[in-house]
Amino acid sequence: MASSSVKVAVRVRPFNSRETNRGAKCVIQMQDKSTCIINPKQPKDAPKNFTFDYSYWSHSSEEDPSFASQGKVYQDIGEEMLLHAFEGYNVCIFAYGQTGAGKSYTMMGKQDPGQQGIIPQMCEDLFRQTAENTDPDLSFSVEVSYMEIYCERVRDLLNPKSRGSLRVREHPIMGPYVEDLSKMAVTNYSDIADLMDTGNKARTVAATNMNETSSRSHAVFTILFTQRRHDHMTSLDTEKVSKISLVDLAGSERADSSGARGMRLKEGANINKSLTTLGKVISALADMQGTKKRRSDFIPYRDSVLTWLLRENLGGNSRTAMIAALSPADINYEETLSTLRYADRAKQIKCNAVINEDPNARLVRELKEEVNRLKELLLSQGLSNLITASGEHPHVFTPVINTRLRRSQCTETEKIIAELNETWEEKLRKTDSIRQEREALLAEMGVSVKEDGGTVGVFSPKRTPHLVNLNEDPLMSECLIYYIKDGVTRVGQEDVDIRLSGQFIKELHCVFCSEVSENNEGESDHVTFLTFTVSHKCKRYVTKDFCAFE
Amino acid sequence: MAAHQSTEWRTVCEKFRLAQELSEIESRKDPENNPFRSKYKARDLLKEIHCSLVKIHIEEEEEGEDDNEADGGSMQIAEGEPGNECGKTCTGDSPAGLRAARLAVLQYYLGVNHIETEELSAGEQHLMNCMKLIDKCTTTRENVSLFIQARNQLGILWAGRDEIEKAQGFLEIAESMYLLYMKEDGQPPLDLQDYFVSEGEELSQQEKIRSRFEMAYTHTLYYLAQVYKNLEQYERAGQYCHSTLQRQLEYKQFVPLEWAINAATLSQYYITKTRYMEARHCLAAASVIATLAGEIPSEAAAKESDAECEKREELLQKRSEIARCWIKYCLNLMQDAKKLLEDNIGELDLDRQEELKRARQNEEEEKEKGRKSAILFGSSDTFDSICSLEEKISSMLPLDFEEARSIFLVGQSYVAQAKEYFAMDGHVTDHIEILQDHSALFKVLAFFEQDLERRCKMHKRRVDLLEPICKDLNAQYYLLICRQLQFELAESYYEMMDLKLAVADKQDQPDVHTIKKFNNLCSSSMKYYQMFLDSIRSPEGKFPEKLEDEVLRPALVAKFRVARLQSKLISNNLATQLENLNHSLESYSFIVQYCEENPEAKKAVETELELSNEMVSLLPLKINRIRSNMASCN
Repeated sequence: MASSSVKVAVRVRPFNSRETNRGAKCVIQMQDKSTCIINPKQPKDAPKNFTFDYSYWSHSSEEDPSFASQGKVYQDIGEEMLLHAFEGYNVCIFAYGQTGAGKSYTMMGKQDPGQQGIIPQMCEDLFRQTAENTDPDLSFSVEVSYMEIYCERVRDLLNPKSRGSLRVREHPIMGPYVEDLSKMAVTNYSDIADLMDTGNKARTVAATNMNETSSRSHAVFTILFTQRRHDHMTSLDTEKVSKISLVDLAGSERADSSGARGMRLKEGANINKSLTTLGKVISALADMQGTKKRRSDFIPYRDSVLTWLLRENLGGNSRTAMIAALSPADINYEETLSTLRYADRAKQIKCNAVINEDPNARLVRELKEEVNRLKELLLSQGLSNLITASGEHPHVFTPVINTRLRRSQCTETEKIIAELNETWEEKLRKTDSIRQEREALLAEMGVSVKEDGGTVGVFSPKRTPHLVNLNEDPLMSECLIYYIKDGVTRVGQEDVDIRLSGQFIKELHCVFCSEVSENNEGESDHVTFLTFTVSHKCKRYVTKDFCAFE
Repeated sequence: MAAHQSTEWRTVCEKFRLAQELSEIESRKDPENNPFRSKYKARDLLKEIHCSLVKIHIEEEEEGEDDNEADGGSMQIAEGEPGNECGKTCTGDSPAGLRAARLAVLQYYLGVNHIETEELSAGEQHLMNCMKLIDKCTTTRENVSLFIQARNQLGILWAGRDEIEKAQGFLEIAESMYLLYMKEDGQPPLDLQDYFVSEGEELSQQEKIRSRFEMAYTHTLYYLAQVYKNLEQYERAGQYCHSTLQRQLEYKQFVPLEWAINAATLSQYYITKTRYMEARHCLAAASVIATLAGEIPSEAAAKESDAECEKREELLQKRSEIARCWIKYCLNLMQDAKKLLEDNIGELDLDRQEELKRARQNEEEEKEKGRKSAILFGSSDTFDSICSLEEKISSMLPLDFEEARSIFLVGQSYVAQAKEYFAMDGHVTDHIEILQDHSALFKVLAFFEQDLERRCKMHKRRVDLLEPICKDLNAQYYLLICRQLQFELAESYYEMMDLKLAVADKQDQPDVHTIKKFNNLCSSSMKYYQMFLDSIRSPEGKFPEKLEDEVLRPALVAKFRVARLQSKLISNNLATQLENLNHSLESYSFIVQYCEENPEAKKAVETELELSNEMVSLLPLKINRIRSNMASCN
């Protein structure tokens, strides 16, 4: 059970249509494990080289022999991680990179065959393997949770009732956890896909309302995988619980903490303008001195939730992988270089919980004396042939089984015990009731839930007028669908059919009037009028096929 | 000036005010897809003002010339006499100087505007124009603030381009400019906002101007701190961070909790530099300033409202964090003293102690007095509280038990304070780190204790602190902490065993009770080393063939110590003795064999390996003697 170090992979995507149209140049080259990047402004400079555990070339297409497919990435990283989960380790996969660099594709992928990302493949694999189990004494259960960390605040993406920020806490036996974070019992992959989808919806709703982009928040999807073994001799159940965390780290282009927009997160000699960042400068100074000399200072940390996340995955008995998504285009050079540097640093991430041992000086002196004594003895006895000792002793060890112990020293334990005592049926019931609440809430806002079949990704109903949201993050784009019914559909903040909130949304923002008319071929067709109620210039739009809003 | 009353001038002032508002307030509401909308509008206004201003100036100059002809020409004096600064064409407070400054202010704002909208080269150009305009004039109340702020901006600009020396140049001139001005004039200078004010409108208040001017200089120091950090001149960087904090306090430009945490963090920098007087001053100031953040809301109040609850959390957390910085101060102070005082096997060196005591009286106090005045924090209202807090703990390395004990006690009280927020319930990692510090405090205190029994009791306290949590902790989530605790517990028991043995040696014939106690300590120590070694096994219970770097040395040292402990167990029974020695031999052999199979490990455990080799060859002799004894007994 060695302590963890991070496995790091980078992956470069093909050009997107915009880049192709602009005639973008590829600045990334890969060979085996190494990745190099060329500065498009200084093409004569030596390219910068980086070496990782894996460098995935996905810039070309399947025909290219060096092309790394979704399957290949899963085989290298996903399979190993799943194996560790079955062994009882906690595992964690971080995804990092600029928005639009292909993070979501690698993690989630698309629905089409062969296009699924690590998460769906891993979940399918997990349920396939548990279904193959024939041992009657071994049973499995899977629960999931989904949360978002934005500006040090943790939000439950699966429970609509949870308001505000949840607290991050630690328990000596249960480990780090988020207080009151809902855990949903699931029995197959489609449950997970549904939950992930609704979570993404919740994330998008929040982001749209608060006029923020997803690129500034971390999202953590956790699968709690429990293997329960019944022992007939003692008639006790032992459990092996492992936590599979899939973390979507905030984009590298996230604004500087001073809030200055347009400021790029750049390394080097940059000067922080605002005095609010004085603490950062001082901590860096103290930190620098501390690591050089000894680790005996205390630096009050600032990025506490992320620190907590890393702590859990680096300080525990866990296996961690990071995948950095790279854009190939020359215009993204700066961002891509900074992503590569970040990934390079991730290789060296180690928990600073080192073991400080006492000096052996006294013991050494003592032993030297004994050695001398024994040598004298040897000389005095004139014995030259020694009989070497034999007799192997079997190592005594206690197998490490994660048994859920019950203790009552902590008040929080009571809550946890209550949760533990819940039967699986109760959990499923609870999961279902929260699901209903969630759907009701989304329905209240006018977001369609059932009709789109809970599929992930793009889905457009053909003949019904509807609205979809747009977002720069492809994972979030078009994942909310608002139907426009026949007759009048009111959009706004209060007493409406489609509820949007946000500073720019008026109380009654606009009204859609949808009429069904027969067209020439005798088919029914929707004609929708859109009226903005409060905006200064009252515009009317007539749309036929569909309209999109931002 | 005639122009001031004109409608034209009023329009200029109005536009300027609008541009400020657009840039500072409106711009915050700009949409994501057009983030610089208001900044661009502000820029257009600034450009318009610039045009009108040039026009007004031409008119003014014409008027001025008329005036000059009438009363002898003050302009000519200004232009004709370079004054005491050679190369300057006019004094800053002359009409020409003021005109130049006004244009320079516009160039300054245009520069900042371009930088904010990511047009760095254009921004640089405007800032350089600004500098050129005022460089023609002597430094006066009219332009000194502009001087400093323009250089601050250029400093940031060049640092962003990785031209750190260039940035340093601009900022250092700004620094000396401020110092010179304060020495020669010292009056609050004209504020950048006040260049465009029409008659009848009020200028900013004196205090406000002063505060803005001082703030600009505080920023200069803060930027220099970063420049020096980037130039790896850490000493100076620390000094400038310190000055920044001092000035924030002096001009009351700080948020209490934030300031307190920054000061506490700075103390940790000083600790690593073994500058305890500075560290203590930072900590005392941190503790005092933190109290300015207000009363901690009661638990009842926190239950009533979320805001109170959040405030309570925050205040408790920050205060506990400051307490943790204090703990590190106490711990490091004692540990550094120990390093000076210990002999080659880690015992107190009495000669050295005498020597240091004598040396201390002469030197340190003298030296510290001089250093102290430079680092003082404090506005008049907090100064006394800071000093009285400082008096509660020494900043000198403790040289005997009494001195060490008084530092220990302060440290221990901060341990209690830190644990209030960082309770086991909810903050496992932090809580344990505090307990580990507490244990370390006991450990270093034990070094100063001469009485062996009492020293043993101190190590017992460490065991009492750590043993219960070590049992409760789930290694799946806290593997590394578990290992640390196991190792430390093993060492604490080992230490106790050693001390018990030393005590027993003084007695003639150790009684059965003492022997039993001694054996128990040995076994406990071995138990924890073994737990540590077991934590390295795979889930199937297999010991790895190759140890990872971070556990290599600890694992082999654990084996080495186990080997020693096994041979130390006392027994009358020959068979048991034989068994123990065989175990010991096995453990020594493990080390030797591992290093044979993994030669790269040799470097990590040189001494231990050498001794293990010896023991592997010599222990069989001892074993054989016991065997033959057994044979003869039978």
